[in-house]
Amino acid sequence: MTYPVELRNVSFYYSAGTPIQVAALKNINLKIGRGELVGIIGHTGSGKSTLISHFNGLLRPSEGSVIIDGEDLGNDKETLRAARFKVGLCFQYPEAQLFEETVAGDIAFGPKNMKLPNDEIQSRVLKAAEFVGLRPELLDKSPFDLSGGEKRRAAIAGVMAMEPEVLVLDEPAAGLDPGGKNEILAMITEYRKRTGCTAVLVSHSMEDIANIADRVIVMNGGTIAMDGTVNEIFSRSAELKNMGLNVPEITRIFIRLRELGYDVPTDVYSVEKGAEILREIIGRRSPL
Amino acid sequence: MIRDITFGQYYPGKSVLHRMDPRMKLVLTFAMIVAVFICHNFYALALMVVFAVSAVLLSRVPLRMILKSIKPILIILAFTAVLNIFYTKGGATYFEWWKISVTEKGVNTAIFTVIRIIVLVVISSLLTYTTTPTMLTDAIERLLSPLKIFHIKVHTLAMMMTLALRFIPTLIEEIERIMNAQKARGADLESGGLIHRAKALVPIFIPLMVSSFRRAYELAFAMTCRCYTGGNGRTRMKQMKLRAADFIALLLCLAVIAGIIVLNIFFTRII
Ligand SMILES: Nc1ncnc2c1ncn2[C@@H]1O[C@H](COP(=O)(O)OP(=O)(O)OP(=O)(O)O)[C@@H](O)[C@H]1O
Ligand SMILES: [Mg+2]
Repeated sequence: MTYPVELRNVSFYYSAGTPIQVAALKNINLKIGRGELVGIIGHTGSGKSTLISHFNGLLRPSEGSVIIDGEDLGNDKETLRAARFKVGLCFQYPEAQLFEETVAGDIAFGPKNMKLPNDEIQSRVLKAAEFVGLRPELLDKSPFDLSGGEKRRAAIAGVMAMEPEVLVLDEPAAGLDPGGKNEILAMITEYRKRTGCTAVLVSHSMEDIANIADRVIVMNGGTIAMDGTVNEIFSRSAELKNMGLNVPEITRIFIRLRELGYDVPTDVYSVEKGAEILREIIGRRSPL
Repeated sequence: MIRDITFGQYYPGKSVLHRMDPRMKLVLTFAMIVAVFICHNFYALALMVVFAVSAVLLSRVPLRMILKSIKPILIILAFTAVLNIFYTKGGATYFEWWKISVTEKGVNTAIFTVIRIIVLVVISSLLTYTTTPTMLTDAIERLLSPLKIFHIKVHTLAMMMTLALRFIPTLIEEIERIMNAQKARGADLESGGLIHRAKALVPIFIPLMVSSFRRAYELAFAMTCRCYTGGNGRTRMKQMKLRAADFIALLLCLAVIAGIIVLNIFFTRII
């Protein structure tokens, strides 16, 4: 059985061999299954971006091996290039990568590099733009004239248009207002539902991950500290706290209620669901 | 801020040389470079070599780094040696064939010049190994500040230099980031002919320009907001102060220079 992404004993050092060498990843073993939506959380500097840069061969491991779709990303140029298209990587603040004269041209950059026929590129651009909610009239504008949120969408569309088997997004919602953030997250879930692709989502925010991921990986100091379902991870809130992370506020409230002796579930990750449960309990106590 | 100082060849450390006042280091480096040039025989040069070796040992910069700074000039060294061996004539002849001859003087001059260049490079790279670029510009600013009476804006020039140095690592990081982002979209930067490669740079260059201008504006705004008005009446956070170590270094260097002059007088001149 092959995995879309598999890492074996991967270690990575920045500035290797100098006095300022940084061990950014330490002996990582990781398998990501087909169709999974994996959330990666971790304190700033814990190695999340470094980890995902290995998924498409942008960084080569100092030790260990990376296997994409059953193929070891050795030093073969073709395999490496194929991996770039299989794993679509969208970096932190992707709006910095826009360069074309028009938004449509920029979204087409990836598909063009894949050497697809022109009409296929056209249809993919339109599809991706519609998907991320960019109005058609924006497509002919210069990407530098868009608002921050629109730029972000255009950049994400640029990766989606390559229709990768694995979509990796590094902090896609960073710096957006709550509305924009929820729209981006909804967009990702929807995209995955429609294409059935594997997705990896990096985030600082527990709330975001809790609501959409099947599986959570917690990074700490260059190692995988925890790996499990959302419920498994959040039940270890004390450990998370030690790593500078926190379970969502609403979950903390329910954990505290449980400690105080109330019979409430602790796997509550969204305020809506929390409110519903509380309303039900209050309703039971004093039937008004 | 580790990445800020990786530019240039600063080698982080806490040795005496690292802690010396950069102004003194700069002045002494210049003085010792001149001293290398006034050496006229092997005895004087040997003293200079001893000085350079002790300085390297004091700095605790590993030999590997020092050798790295000599590597780029290997070709120049070889070239100088060859030229001197064949073109300087005098003294006993070691070897002669057709029009080519190697004489005692030629060999001596070649060895002398090569050692001299190596010492020069070691001394000057020691300055950059033990001083961050920012400290260096700071020192230059302070040493040049008397030029103010000629209405030369020393502070502005130094500020521009410091900012440029400060932003080189940022730009490198930015270029790396943009390159990675475009590579992730399948940009092919490595293969193809010249034109293809030049074209492939467009997706890197344009975002870099855009972000550089944005950064420059932001920086200018931020500086204005913090009441930056240029050099007049500006005080410093890091005061440079001459300490005992600086004066000892000064005395040592003077002693070496005096020694060189004496050795120059007492032994025959070979160059
Ligand atoms: N180009 C680089 N050169 C040297 N060190 C680096 C470089 N990039 C990252 N690091 C270091 O590697 C470690 C991991 O960095 P990484 O960017 O992967 O963290 P991260 O988890 O993505 O953090 P954030 O949440 O802030 O994005 C950090 O200690 C960082 O300082
Ligand atoms: Mg990151």
